[in-house]
Amino acid sequence: MKFFDRLEKIDRRIIFFLVGLAVIIPLIIPLGLPVDITGPVQDVFDRVEELPEGSIVVVSCDYDPGSEAELSPATAAFLEHCFRKNLRVYMMGLWPAGPELGNLALESIAPTYGKVYGVDYINIGYRPGGPVMLVSLGRDFTDLVRADYAGVPIDSFPLGRAVKSARDIDLVMTLSAGDPGVLHWIIYFSARYGTEIATATTAIMAPQQYPYLSSGQLIGLLGGLKGAAEYETLVDKKARAVAGMDSQSIVHLLLVVFIVIGNIILLYQKRRK
Amino acid sequence: MKQTIPLIIVFTFGFFVIIAFFIPLRVFQDASQTFETWYTGVIAFFVFIGIFNIIKVNVNKIQRKLSDWQYSIILLFFLAFMMGAGFIGGPEGGVFDYLFEHMQIPLGATMFSLLAFFVASAAFRAFRARTPEATLLLIAAVIVMIGRVPIGYYIWKGFPNLVEWIMSVPNTAAKRGILFGADLGLISMALRVLLGIERSYMGGGRE
Repeated sequence: MKFFDRLEKIDRRIIFFLVGLAVIIPLIIPLGLPVDITGPVQDVFDRVEELPEGSIVVVSCDYDPGSEAELSPATAAFLEHCFRKNLRVYMMGLWPAGPELGNLALESIAPTYGKVYGVDYINIGYRPGGPVMLVSLGRDFTDLVRADYAGVPIDSFPLGRAVKSARDIDLVMTLSAGDPGVLHWIIYFSARYGTEIATATTAIMAPQQYPYLSSGQLIGLLGGLKGAAEYETLVDKKARAVAGMDSQSIVHLLLVVFIVIGNIILLYQKRRK
Repeated sequence: MKQTIPLIIVFTFGFFVIIAFFIPLRVFQDASQTFETWYTGVIAFFVFIGIFNIIKVNVNKIQRKLSDWQYSIILLFFLAFMMGAGFIGGPEGGVFDYLFEHMQIPLGATMFSLLAFFVASAAFRAFRARTPEATLLLIAAVIVMIGRVPIGYYIWKGFPNLVEWIMSVPNTAAKRGILFGADLGLISMALRVLLGIERSYMGGGRE
């Protein structure tokens, strides 16, 4: 059984090559696999549907370029839904690069719905301070937010003047890649001021959110690129996330094959001993 | 004195914020708001400390010609370049925006994407069912991996529901246990810091 011995010592570059193929081929030749909708994603969609026109939604981009591939599609799909429902978007970020990334989505989507900066949406940029800042922000926005991300006084915008405290916020959507992020919004904002929180997280963070989902502290969850693909399907705007689902499916399948082969090798080694 | 003054500051401000949380009197709320505003101001200075630290570490590396010191030159050059582009052109439009969109985003995404390749290699070599507990973990992992992607739904329509059950019941139960334990530890550590029992954050040791 030299085959198993040779298989165990397989060059990892062959594994990398196979993963590369599993990513690239479905992107070139899409399989068109159906995207099922899970409960936590449906809950976010339904809550946004229930909000009356003109409601203010805080979209907090708490991620950086490393998580862009997973969270930017979720940002875009969520903004699409907000603007379609004529909700007002108040963008910010607990990570320095987050609002910049969110702005790319804002600038590409808002004009298609004829939305006006400062009236229908605003970006107040990076807000340092994590938990303490969130406690302070919820109590009095005007104390912390004096200007938007470009340095223009916040009072010069109707939407800037409309938000004085957490009471003026109808929903917070945090697109979270770690710390500070969704956990801080739950503990230091929602628990204190009662504001509803929804989240889109990286796939690796999604399991950590389930205790908060079951306790009702989170109204819904978009987990990883799959969550974004589900939301794209719900808002009927299939884009990057849905396009990436075929690749992700094949890579996951390949990983399972690797795990099975690895365990067959283990069984063979045990028997030989 | 080097330790007594910081201890007094920590005790006073820490307990004041806790009291303000439980007693909704305006005087406490206003003072607490002021402290929180100071805190966000102090946090903003951490950015400068971070920049000074990165310059110091990399200049030291270049001077001593430590391993891969050439990369430190590139890092310092682009640190200065990005800062200059941001200060001169502003955050919107111009060189800063172009570099962020066309360099920082793809580079960051590339670094994160590399994980997929290493996870695949680890899946082959390390995900082995050596014990009953490891076998259980492995079976759950395989179900979640397949059920979380559209191909799982394509293979069997019940996969996503099974995954939701794993996430909502066993995963939530385990996470809750871990969270309770960690949070009790956090509370006791916070009390130790506030009461001056834990002093390692100041450099450790007794006065």
